[in-house]
Amino acid sequence: MSEATLTEFDTPAVAPHGADDHDAGDHGGHPVSSTGLSNNKLAMWLFLGSECLLFGGLISTYMLYRGRHTGSPGPAQLWDIPLTSVSSFILLMSSLTMVLAVSAAQQRDDRLTNLWLAVTALLGATFVGAQVYEFTTFYYEGVGFTTSLFSSSFYTLTGFHGVHVTVGIVMLMALVGIISRSKVPGDKAEVVELIGLYWHFVDIIWIVIFTLVYLIPA
Amino acid sequence: MSGVDQPVSTVRFVKQRSAIGVAMIAAAALLGGCASNAPQDTWKPAGENAQDIQNLQWPVFLVAGIVGAIVFGVIIFVVIRFRDHGQEMPKQTHGKPALEIALTILPALILIGVGIPTVSTVFSLAKTDDTQCVVNVTGQQWWWEYQYPVQTCGGVDIAEPLVTSGELVLPTQANVLLRITSNDVIHSFWIPKLNGKRDAVPGRIHPLRMQADQPGIFAGQCTEFCGLSHARMRMDAVALNSADFASWVANQLEPAEKPTDALAAKGEDTYRAQCSRCHQVNGLTEENADGTNSAKPVIAFPDLYVVAGNAPNLTNLMTRTTFAGATWDLLTDECRATLRDASPEEFGALYLQGVTPDCFNEAELREWIRNAPAKKPMYASEEEKTENGGKYRGMPNLNLTDDQIDEIIAYLLERK
Amino acid sequence: MAIVERPSTVPAIAGGAAPTFVGPADAYGAYRRPVTTTGWRSWLFTVDHKKLGLMYGVSAMIFFLIGGIEALLIRTQLAAPDNTVLSADLYNQMFTMHATTMVFLFVMPMAAGWANYFVPLQIGARDVAFPRLNAFGFWCFLFGGLFLNTSWFLGGAADGGWFMYQPNASSLFSPSNGVDYWSLGLQITGIASLTGAINLIVTVLNMRAPGMSLMKMPIFTWMILVVQFLLVFAIPVITVALFLLMFQRNFGAQFFNVDAGADPLLWQHLFWIFGHPEVYILILPSFGIVSEVLPVFSRKPLFGYKFVVFSGAAIGFVGWGVWAHHMFTSGLGPVSVAVFSVSTMLIAIPTGVKIVNWTLTMWGGKIHFTTAMLFSIGLIVEFTIGGLSGVTHSVSPSDTQQTDTYYIVAHFHYVLFGGAVFGIFAGFYYWWPKMFGKMLNETLGKWNFWLMVVGMNLTFGPMHILGLQGQPRRMVVWPDKLTGEGFFDLAFWNLAATVGSYLLAIGIFLFLVNVWRTTRKGATAPLDPWDARSLEWLTTNPPKAHNFDVVPHVHALDEYFHMKYEEVDTDTGPRLVKVRTAEELQAEQEANADTHIHMPSPSYWPIVLAIALPIMAYGIIYSTLLTVAGGVILLLAMFAWALEPSVADDSDYDPPPSGEAGKELASV
Repeated sequence: MSEATLTEFDTPAVAPHGADDHDAGDHGGHPVSSTGLSNNKLAMWLFLGSECLLFGGLISTYMLYRGRHTGSPGPAQLWDIPLTSVSSFILLMSSLTMVLAVSAAQQRDDRLTNLWLAVTALLGATFVGAQVYEFTTFYYEGVGFTTSLFSSSFYTLTGFHGVHVTVGIVMLMALVGIISRSKVPGDKAEVVELIGLYWHFVDIIWIVIFTLVYLIPA
Repeated sequence: MSGVDQPVSTVRFVKQRSAIGVAMIAAAALLGGCASNAPQDTWKPAGENAQDIQNLQWPVFLVAGIVGAIVFGVIIFVVIRFRDHGQEMPKQTHGKPALEIALTILPALILIGVGIPTVSTVFSLAKTDDTQCVVNVTGQQWWWEYQYPVQTCGGVDIAEPLVTSGELVLPTQANVLLRITSNDVIHSFWIPKLNGKRDAVPGRIHPLRMQADQPGIFAGQCTEFCGLSHARMRMDAVALNSADFASWVANQLEPAEKPTDALAAKGEDTYRAQCSRCHQVNGLTEENADGTNSAKPVIAFPDLYVVAGNAPNLTNLMTRTTFAGATWDLLTDECRATLRDASPEEFGALYLQGVTPDCFNEAELREWIRNAPAKKPMYASEEEKTENGGKYRGMPNLNLTDDQIDEIIAYLLERK
Repeated sequence: MAIVERPSTVPAIAGGAAPTFVGPADAYGAYRRPVTTTGWRSWLFTVDHKKLGLMYGVSAMIFFLIGGIEALLIRTQLAAPDNTVLSADLYNQMFTMHATTMVFLFVMPMAAGWANYFVPLQIGARDVAFPRLNAFGFWCFLFGGLFLNTSWFLGGAADGGWFMYQPNASSLFSPSNGVDYWSLGLQITGIASLTGAINLIVTVLNMRAPGMSLMKMPIFTWMILVVQFLLVFAIPVITVALFLLMFQRNFGAQFFNVDAGADPLLWQHLFWIFGHPEVYILILPSFGIVSEVLPVFSRKPLFGYKFVVFSGAAIGFVGWGVWAHHMFTSGLGPVSVAVFSVSTMLIAIPTGVKIVNWTLTMWGGKIHFTTAMLFSIGLIVEFTIGGLSGVTHSVSPSDTQQTDTYYIVAHFHYVLFGGAVFGIFAGFYYWWPKMFGKMLNETLGKWNFWLMVVGMNLTFGPMHILGLQGQPRRMVVWPDKLTGEGFFDLAFWNLAATVGSYLLAIGIFLFLVNVWRTTRKGATAPLDPWDARSLEWLTTNPPKAHNFDVVPHVHALDEYFHMKYEEVDTDTGPRLVKVRTAEELQAEQEANADTHIHMPSPSYWPIVLAIALPIMAYGIIYSTLLTVAGGVILLLAMFAWALEPSVADDSDYDPPPSGEAGKELASV
């Protein structure tokens, strides 16, 4: 019988059972699995599914409380729609560059992969920067985290999203670092793709937040 | 191979024990609905709304009991009939879809039978368009306050807003709508014999119908966990016929009478000094420098001192039979029993007597006034006051002397 | 035979272009890996699903004992009217922590333990999909649980009830740090549940033995799969609630501040949207266990396997649409109440399907009354009682009388003790030989069972009466004046319940005695003591580190049974005949053993990463400095983890002793 091993996040991708259990063939390095998805990708999808509920809860909280800000400024007084639109557009563009990074990774072009990853991280950082600027402005207009129900739920929702973007940026930068030193454990293209999945998810969540929080009037 | 075969005697043991156990449980569950005199028996409705619930629930319990009996019967049969008594290895059947579907549809049908009356009862218990009286009910740690707005309540005019606590007094045969809210945390108002419970949620007002067929006193208990003294947050509903209710209202609206005996007169001063910051007595006025009474009313400001922002109004304390969240009795055990066992015809007159000196249960009230937090756990020490942002939760220990306590009790005994 | 080898230098890639991977020459974990296979290190740094399963089980049982002691204190306090064993404050902490412990630190991790140990075995896998994540999950649970319980010694435990309704649990009304410990501790154990759930779903969906389609999967694995999906979607909801609570209490947010206009029902919705699926998270694993045990000891396949699977999935789905039945008195309005009443009734249907199928599984069988079987039959009976009382409070007007009384306490203890706990004990007796190679004593087991049955019915049975007679829950004292007389004397039934709880405790103590005796001088278990039906019995007792010498090909549901038995035509018609023994099957496995099996290597990082979390949590309560320190540990551990290959580098191993080349991982 032939060799068998387990797959894990960062292991070489090998069939989870003895390779003769399946007609392994060329799977492009992806493990043979019952679902056709690699373990890593399936796990990422599940995690993102779970995240949907997390943001669902936070968005519901915000929607319930967005009008409750007696005596302090509320959405109508605070929002700077042009600024947020620009930063939202920047975040959306980062999804495009992420797609380019994944495609470069699949073509095994490390240099181009790194370039697009770095651009994605940069765009993400610009978005976070804009968010920090926005928060600062609001703070100086007298709306802090503890000011009102509206402010607590607004900062919590967008703050959670901002942290997600930041974690994404850290992952992108780490990935650039280890790709340029050729030290990616496991399948490089898949790692890029996984982080891409996460990144797109965070962008989509922002579209929802932007629409519900900024565009639809309370 | 198996090594798991059991001697037949064990099997018998198994079946007998489980049969006895099942029978006992079934009997206990069925008897659960039968006679008793626990004051909060949920199966003893004394008003229309509780009766609606009762009419809905007893058939459900019955059906549940029957289904249970059938299931246990089948299980007992199976474990006896199909125990290993040396029969052959059974056929490896994987099920009978037709039987499965039938046994899925059957409970569905039963549940439809339960569901339709449930939904209709839900809506009939939510009706508010037949209201004949409104009472605002406010929960706070750890007592209930009742405010009667100006209205005609069950045919009785209430000309001024009326406030009482602990005992919710209702006219019989009238649809009373409680509008329930809370001053601090979530509580739940529950008089089992009159209706199910309804949460008192701060910032929200929840309606609850109440109707009592006959005069009487019906016990209740806060049923949403509300902190340290949740167990000591009780209430009673008192139903009075129309005439008695009218006299009760009239009496409640009278301002406090001046103390008649000397001790009580001293008590008034002590009360003013020690109690009146939080506990309102309508008609109590400030004292002039020469010791005479001025016309300026003493207004309590409980919101400055307690987190709930409220303390019971004591103007007519002795018309009630309990105090401190309806937890302790103002009546002696004997008088309490006489009142609670009174027939519907006698009840009204007896209740309207209030706490007479003969019936006064002084010990509990004395302990309370001496050191309230020792009797009923509250966050009312000085350290806890700091934690609470400078306010007490509940009544603090006022460190009164015995003389002061005597005086206050004498004063309170006349608050009728 | 030692067939687990040091990893070869050339990993096997089945065909195609080999992806880039880290070979031994350039692997760079931060430290040498902890490859010892004996001693405490082999437990602390293990990634083996069986070791982790055992650790889950042992930790959960310790928490079970703690929660049990809390329960006994509660019952002791309530034995007599106006009792003074516990102060009001301590009593409130006691029932809060009793529920929290039993739900989050006993039943959930116990199920996680069973799942960890047996899901890979049942589906013919050698480990879970993400072994290090698995270890991380376990340590999160353990550290979260310990963190939660340290609150007893640091100013008092949480006192708001396990449902922690707002605003009663805000800092004004609950000024001790207890609720902070609660919210932070549960966030940490939540991480355990979420990572565990993702891991198990991937394992079940991706790593089944060839031929095992979903509908040939053992029923326990099915129920675990449903539970993991519930966890994936329920945990984030409670996480949101816990974050809001933490922000409220520790950072001045306003979420539950009624003066600022907050709606206290927000918390209730978030809590119960999690809380009701949680109920099924607690019960379905035990349903899975008894669905394994009943067929084995009835010598028949599970009746209506597909119906049981679908009803399990249906319970999982409908379980999301019933949360507001915990809020029938919260003032939702009649429309919501009516809708949730009906949806709650709906869930009785798939539950009823299960009861029917279990009964029909025994019907026509050849029933062996082992302790495991007794617990399973016990579950059917007790759960039926709990289920039927459940139907009585799906009738919402009736529920407005019952809710927050002892009737509800009776209901959910019949469901959770008679259901979840009996299932767990059935699992102990059924799987003990598999896990430890020794048989639990059946005589002691029967005493254990009967004491628990009598004890639980005496404890929780009277609570039906107490509740219907109007005794509310969560009251430190019940007054003498309200007891009534005659048959329904509350004093009598309260005392009976207390006596019952002590009997129950003795029953559980007998289990511990049984474990102790079995460990010291238990009979060695035969390979297949129960004539079982599913794949976990195709391995040795206890299983080898790599589970299967050769991964089986699955052809049928109850594969192991069909390996042993075949239908043979005789004069009197077809008969089932045992054609192969367990020993023969085992010999066959060993004869055809895979020559190279790579198991994931132990790692420091899961436990290091997990320990960072309680450090950060203490920091949130006491000092930002501590949070920063924890955060640094967290980041370093993540970094080290990400760079560490899952299979140990050759250089991590000590030179093998002569003659033992390449066998370091072989011993378990």
